[in-house]
Amino acid sequence: MRSRGSLRRRSAITGYALLAPSLFGVVCFLLLPVLVVLWLSFQSWDLIGPISFVGLDNYRSVLSDGVFGNSLVVTLIFVLLVVPIQTLIGLGAATLLTRGLPGSAWFRTVYVLPWICAPLALGVVWKWILAPTDGALNTLLGHRVEWLSDPALALPAVAAVVIWTNVGYVTLFFMAGLLNIPGQILEAARIDGAGAVKVFWHIKLPLLRPTMFFVLVTTVISAFQVFDQVYALTQGGPARSTDVVAARIYYEAFDAFDLGRAAVMAVVLLVILVVITLAQQLYFRRRVTYEMD
Amino acid sequence: MKWTRFSATAAVYLVLLLGALFTLGPFLLSILTAFKTREQFAQQSALTWPDPFTLENFALLLNGPAQFGRAILITVLAAVLILVGQLICSILAAYAFARVDFPGRQVLFWVYLSTLMIPPVVLVVPLYLMMTEVGLRNSFWSLVLPFAFASPYAIFLLREYFRGIPQELIDAARLDGANTLDVLVEIVVPLSRPIIATLTLITIVSHWNSFMWPLVVTTGTEWRVVTVATASLQSQFNGNWTLVMAATTLALVPLLVLFLMFQRSFVRSITIAGSA
Repeated sequence: MRSRGSLRRRSAITGYALLAPSLFGVVCFLLLPVLVVLWLSFQSWDLIGPISFVGLDNYRSVLSDGVFGNSLVVTLIFVLLVVPIQTLIGLGAATLLTRGLPGSAWFRTVYVLPWICAPLALGVVWKWILAPTDGALNTLLGHRVEWLSDPALALPAVAAVVIWTNVGYVTLFFMAGLLNIPGQILEAARIDGAGAVKVFWHIKLPLLRPTMFFVLVTTVISAFQVFDQVYALTQGGPARSTDVVAARIYYEAFDAFDLGRAAVMAVVLLVILVVITLAQQLYFRRRVTYEMD
Repeated sequence: MKWTRFSATAAVYLVLLLGALFTLGPFLLSILTAFKTREQFAQQSALTWPDPFTLENFALLLNGPAQFGRAILITVLAAVLILVGQLICSILAAYAFARVDFPGRQVLFWVYLSTLMIPPVVLVVPLYLMMTEVGLRNSFWSLVLPFAFASPYAIFLLREYFRGIPQELIDAARLDGANTLDVLVEIVVPLSRPIIATLTLITIVSHWNSFMWPLVVTTGTEWRVVTVATASLQSQFNGNWTLVMAATTLALVPLLVLFLMFQRSFVRSITIAGSA
C-alpha cells in the first residue's frame, strides 16, 4: 500500500504534467502579451528604432488629440446601430422559424451561412456590390449612390454588412430559446384567450430574457472589436467616419508606426471590454457554472 | 378562418424566402462573377449567367503572381497544425482540471477562464513585438505558435464533457494497470468524440477565416494566407472584379462545402460555442 502522502504527490505531479503545455500557451500568448501591451503603452517605438520610455506621453497624446475620441464615438454608434437591429431581425426570424412549418431547418441553415464565412472575404464581396459605378446594387437601382464614399452613408453601410453577417447567429440562439419554452404554458395562455401578439409580449418575450441578455452581451463585445469588414469596405474612411477602435489600433501601429499610441488604445479597449464582461458576470450569476465541485 | 390561416402561412414563407434570397445573393453574385470574362462583366448586368463560362480568373489566381495556391496550402497547413496542437494540449489540460486532484487547481482554472475576457485585437500589437524580438516575424511559425498550445475555451468545453464520463470506467481501467495516458487514449477521447468534432469545426473555421493577425505578422507573398491574399488582391486590382470575385469564391466555397457536409454539428457547435 502506498501512503496517502505519496499518492497526493503523484497526483500533483500528474496534474502539472498534463497542464504544462497549455500553461505554456496561456502564459506566453495570453497573459504575457497583456503585460507587454501595458508596458509598451509607456514606451515609444516606431517598429525600426530602439524602444524608449516616455512615461505618460502616449496617454496624454491619445486622450487629447481627438482621433481616438472619434474612434470611440464611431465604435459606439456602430454598436448602437448593429446590436439592436440584428437582435430585432434575429428575434423576428426565430419567431417565424419556430412555428413548426416544413422547411424551417433549411432556412435556418441558409441564414447561418454568412456567419461561418470569412468576414474579410464577405466584406470584399460587399465592397463590389456597393461600388459606385460597376457595383451590383447601383446597377440594379439604376442610379449612382456613394454607399462607401459618402461620410454620412459609410458607417450605416458597414453596419448593414455586419448585420447581414450576424443575423443567422442571433436567430440560432433565439430559436433555441423559443423552443425551450414549455408548450403547456403557451397552450394555457391560448385557452385563456390570449392572441399571438399577446402571447409573444407577455409570455415568450419575458421567458426569453436570459437568451436576450446573452445575445446582447456577446454581440456587443464582438461589435466593439469589428475590423475585417471595415478593412475590406472603407479602411476607416471617408473622413474617419468608419474609423472604429480596432481599425485605429491597426493603422496607428502598422501605418503610422506609432506602437506606443496603439498600445494605449489597446489598453483602453481591454478595460472597456473587461468591464462589460464583468458587469455581465455579476448580473448574470445564475448562468455561471464555473465553480469547481 | 381557414383562408386567413393559409394566407398567414403564405406571408411567413414569403418573408422567409426574401430573407434567404438576401442572404444567398452576395454568395451567388460572387460565384457567378468569378466565372465571367472581363468583357461580359463590363457589358452586362451582374445578374446574368456566365457566357462564355471561363476558368481564366481562377487560372490567373493560382498561377499568377498572387500565388493563391500557395496561400491556400499555407492556410490549410497552419489551421491543421493549430488544430492538432490545440486539441492535444486542451485534452490534457481539461482532463487535469476535470479528474486530477492537484494543489492550485481551482486558482489555475480561474486564471484560464479569465483569459477568455482578453479581446484578440488587444493581443495583436504585443504579439507582433514578441514575434519580432524572437526573430519569427514573417514566418510560418508566427501564424501557428500563438494559437497552437491552448485554447482556454476548448479546455472549458472539454472539461465540462469529461466530468460527465463515469468514474467507474476510469477506475476499472486503472485496476487493469492503465496509466493516465492510457485512460485518456482508450476511454476519455473515444467517449468524447462529439465535443472533439465540434471543437475541430470551430478551430478550422476560425483559423481559415482569421485575418488581422496574419495581415500584421506576414509581409509579401511568402507566408500569405487566403484572407490576406484576397485583401491585397482587392487593393492591387481594384476594379478587376472578376478576378477579385474568383478570390472571394476560393475563400468562401471551402467553408460552404464543409458547412453543408457537417450542417448539424455546425449548428450545434455554434450554440455550444455561444453558451460557454
